[in-house]
Amino acid sequence: MTKNTASLFDHVLILAPYRRDAEYLAHLLGQYEVHCEIGSSTDDLSGLLANAPAVLMATHEALTPVVISSVAEHVRSQPDWSEIPIVVLLDRASNDGRVRTQLERAWPRSRLLFYRRPVTTVELLSGVQSALLARHRQRDVRDHIEREVELRRELNHRVKNILASVSSIFEMTRRNATSVEALADDFRGRLNALDKVHSAVFKAETDNISLEDVATITLEPYRSTMGHRIVFGGPPVMLMAETGTSLALCLHELATNASKYGALSAPGGSVSFVWSTTGGPLPELALEWQESGGPLVETPAQAGYGTRYVRAALGGILGTKPVFHFEPQGLRVTAEGPLSRISAAT
Amino acid sequence: MQDPTPSRLSRPLRIFYLEDNPLIVFHVEQMVEDLGHIFVGSADSFTQLQDIFKDLEVDGVLVDIDLKDGPTGPQAAAWLKERGIDSVFVTGQEQVAAAHGNVSLATLGKPVLEAQLGEKLELFRT
Repeated sequence: MTKNTASLFDHVLILAPYRRDAEYLAHLLGQYEVHCEIGSSTDDLSGLLANAPAVLMATHEALTPVVISSVAEHVRSQPDWSEIPIVVLLDRASNDGRVRTQLERAWPRSRLLFYRRPVTTVELLSGVQSALLARHRQRDVRDHIEREVELRRELNHRVKNILASVSSIFEMTRRNATSVEALADDFRGRLNALDKVHSAVFKAETDNISLEDVATITLEPYRSTMGHRIVFGGPPVMLMAETGTSLALCLHELATNASKYGALSAPGGSVSFVWSTTGGPLPELALEWQESGGPLVETPAQAGYGTRYVRAALGGILGTKPVFHFEPQGLRVTAEGPLSRISAAT
Repeated sequence: MQDPTPSRLSRPLRIFYLEDNPLIVFHVEQMVEDLGHIFVGSADSFTQLQDIFKDLEVDGVLVDIDLKDGPTGPQAAAWLKERGIDSVFVTGQEQVAAAHGNVSLATLGKPVLEAQLGEKLELFRT
């Protein structure tokens, strides 16, 4: 008996009560590596069907009213993607048309295949194999549906997250805005930064983005007008998408601030953004934003959106708050933390 | 200047936030401070909360449902409750939060509004 080894969708359940029909069929199919389970009594038929046979094979004499209704129940309770193939081996003398009509009515949403005995091995085997193949396709459809459900759930989560982010950006921008124009400009700039980093992550077709790419896309608009006044670089570091997004928004704030009030607001000023990593079992990442050649820097009386956001975001990313050094010759922001907190496995 | 008697009601609350979106952390941090309370810090996962818990001195924790290590917010709230710390869910998934209503004092929907946040934070006064 093969009973204990039957598993989902990989076997043919044989119902053939007469003589040694079932064993003969199982042996025949077994020679061609078709795995079979024999339903020797109909008492536990629903249990056997619960093992999810890929194909059901039944001889004419197996089709008692009890069996027909058990199978009908199984067919009815199938999930949407499922349409169980049922191979029926008819008697030489049976009334084909009548049996066919009866079973089609009893078992809707099943794929019925009829053979009249005696049936050649080749015929039966090709029928069973095509039934198994059909069943595999159904299972693929099921997997596909499950993946889609999963993706939709994930998508919903992400959309909600983005909306929450945008809502927070708006609220915080509004709080710090001095005029409607300033609000519009700042909000647009922040949304733009968010949009660009999102596109970059999407294009990469992974959930990772390199630190270099984050710097490039975020600082690009400034570089296009100010060229070599903005330099950046460091060793390759891969970031998780969310970390990349936060960092992009930080760089956006720092760059915007530099162009409004800092080094990039004066003709000769420049900015360098560099990062470095340490070796060892617990490598650290250090970030440094250094401005120079701009107007004389004074410690601001009150921190604005940019400073507060950079503090909160870098603090969240690295586990330690960044330090703002308001040095007269130029703003310097430093931050460091364990690489393991931010980096995606490369 | 007259020294006001320290009132229980005006005592600032120490608030911790369990949330994995830094923008929202940032926003809530500002609101908590604007309401006159102390924002103690944040963690982005239940795991991280457990790591830093021993150093925490808080009056209450705001807890999101979905965190960096999965939908672990309710677990985190239950874990905090076992340690005698109150929490309030802050989430867009009010239904999930409602299903775990026994481990937190209340639920605050997203996006968070300052007035509602202020009301819920008062629940942390015991």
